[in-house]
Formats: sequence, structure tokens, C-alpha cells
Amino acid sequence: MIAVLGLVVGVVAGLLVRPEVPAVVEPYLPIAVVAALDAVFGGLRAMLDGIFDDKVFVVSFLSNVVVAALIVFLGDKLGVGAQLSTGVVVVLGIRIFSNAAAIRRHVFRA
Amino acid sequence: MSNEGETPENRLRRELPEEVPAAAAESSGPEQLDEKDEPSLTGRQRLVKGLWPPRVTRAQLIVALLLFGLGFGLAVQVASNSDSGSALRGARQEDLVRILDELDNRTQRLEDEKQGLEDQRTELENSSNQAAEARKQTAEKEKQLGILAGTVAAQGPGITLTINDTKGTVKADMLLDAIQELRAAGAEAIQVNGVRVVASTYLADSGKGVSVDGNKITQPYRFKVIGKPQDLEPALNIPGGVVQTLEKEQATVTVERATKIIVDALRAAKQPDYARSSSQ
Repeated sequence: MIAVLGLVVGVVAGLLVRPEVPAVVEPYLPIAVVAALDAVFGGLRAMLDGIFDDKVFVVSFLSNVVVAALIVFLGDKLGVGAQLSTGVVVVLGIRIFSNAAAIRRHVFRA
Repeated sequence: MSNEGETPENRLRRELPEEVPAAAAESSGPEQLDEKDEPSLTGRQRLVKGLWPPRVTRAQLIVALLLFGLGFGLAVQVASNSDSGSALRGARQEDLVRILDELDNRTQRLEDEKQGLEDQRTELENSSNQAAEARKQTAEKEKQLGILAGTVAAQGPGITLTINDTKGTVKADMLLDAIQELRAAGAEAIQVNGVRVVASTYLADSGKGVSVDGNKITQPYRFKVIGKPQDLEPALNIPGGVVQTLEKEQATVTVERATKIIVDALRAAKQPDYARSSSQ
């Protein structure tokens, strides 16, 4: 419950504060958000499976974000930033979908 | 869908339990104990259980913190993406360079097109100017030729020649001589008693009067002549000239200069039956 509240408070704060995104972070923020979403879906699914562990969640959340940003950074340095971000988004999207499917089976039993 | 979903799900299931026991052993949170006590709970029940009695545990707080970060980043990204006019903000350098190139090309193309259209416009303006000039000249020429052909009225300085022939001795050939003399002196438009004298005018004797182009006129014969008065008057008055000849026939002749003579007798333009323009 508190976790859900944290998400809602974060969204509201982001909308209210509207901070200028620093130019350095700007290319990585979208990918980081998608990676974090992936981690959240994975965590939700683990919770429904009854195997949720906060440590695992924290580590996977942070490592997802860091690795995604790192890949984009590396891609930018190699000159294939656009393609690599697309690849990362595709992979994360597939993972999100499969996790969402598992969650759906738990919640709707279908 | 379900078949496709099974494989990764199974793999994840195989992976995760390896991690979890280790983590569970270390953390030994209350959730994990609950989990162990009631292993028969379904996913939905776990969700409801996790949601409703809000428990302030370390796990919940950490997850809330991370989710706060996620929500914050999400909202910021969405907000900065939907800012109007900042479509280029998140674009990469190479994309920006490409967009700039495209814009340059487009500008170049549009410039070329503009240049072409301007040339075309200049051309059209020139040609329309030329057409207007040609039309003006044509109208001018038409007026000049109209004066010669007698299809338009004319006005200007000139003289009035009046021949009073009470005795009826003046014949057509004498009037013709007078007309010839006037023409030789530079007369530009002539009318006799309301009949315009043009190139094809003929005079013939007709009873007591004279027939001009088939129009019978009688004395006094009044010539209205446009031309240079200083030339026309002496031409008529030269010794042995028109005036003396007519006076010898006992006609009275008066010549008056005028600064404004109006020749308003008109003649219909006639299409020649046989003669055709040989120019062009």
C-alpha cells in the first residue's frame, strides 16, 4: 500500500514540480524509466507468485536502471545510440509483456 | 499467447527461487514468514493482503522510495516530452544534424523554386508591359490613320476657306485644284460643307452645284482645313493660284486663319474589296 502511495506521490510531485531535466541525464531518462517499469512489473509478479523479496527488488530495480542507462551511454559513444535504445526498449517491452501476462493469470485467472 | 508466455515464465520461475531462499534467509522479513505459514494463498489473495492493511515495514518503505523515483521520472519525462515546441529537445545529435540537413535541402529547393517563379513573374510583367506598349502604339496609330481615313473627328489650328459663287461659275475642277493646293501645303484634314475629304474623294459637276463623293453641295463652299495656317494661307494666295483663279471667275473668296478648327464630318470605314495588306 505504501509502495503504491509512493508511486502516486512521485507522479504528482513530478507533475507539480516540473523540474528541468539536466542535459546530461536527458537521453537516459526515458530508457531508465522503462527499465524501472520492467523491474516494477517483475516485482509485482514475484509478489503474486509469493516469492517477492525486497532486496531482490531493490537490486533488480537499480541494476536495471543502471544497465539500461549504461547501454544507451555506450551506444551513444559508439554512434549507434538510437538503435541500441530501440533494442533496449524492445527487450524491456517483451519482458514487461510476459510479466504482465503472468500477473494477468494471477489476478484474473485467465 | 499462453504458449508463448509459458516459456519465459517457467524460466523465470526456475531462476527466481534460487535467489529468493538466499535473500529470504538473510532478510527473514515478516512477509516471508507469512508466506511460509500460508503457502496455499493464491496470487489474488496475496495482492489484496499486501494492499490492504498498510504495514510500515522496511521493505515497503524502500519499494515506496524506488516507486517514488519511478513515478517522478515518468512524470518529468512525460511533461518534458509533451512541452510544446520542444520536439527537438530529446533528439540526438545525429538526428539533429540530419534534420538540419533536411531543412537546408528543403530551403535550397524552395529558394530555387522561388527564384524560378520570380523569373517567370518578371518575364510575364515584361511581356505584359510590351503588350500594353504595343496596344498603346496601335491605338495611337489607329487615331492617326483614322484622321487620314476620316473615321474620327479632328481638331487643331487651320484655316477656313469660303467661296461665294453667286454666278454659278465655279466648277468641280476648281474646287479640286483648291483641295490639291491645300494638300500640297500640308493640310491634314479637310471637310467641305459637311463632307469629309479623304484620299478616295472625287468631285464632279452636278447641276448648279458640285457633287462630292455623291453628296451634292451648293455654294457657298466652306472648306474647313486643319494644317499650319502660315503655310496654307500663302499657298492659296500665291499669284496665279487658287484664289486668283477663282476671283477671275467672279467668285468671292475669303481665307481666315483660326487657332481651332474642328473637322467633325465623318466617313464610315470601308473594307476594301480587292486591296489587301501586303505586309506580313
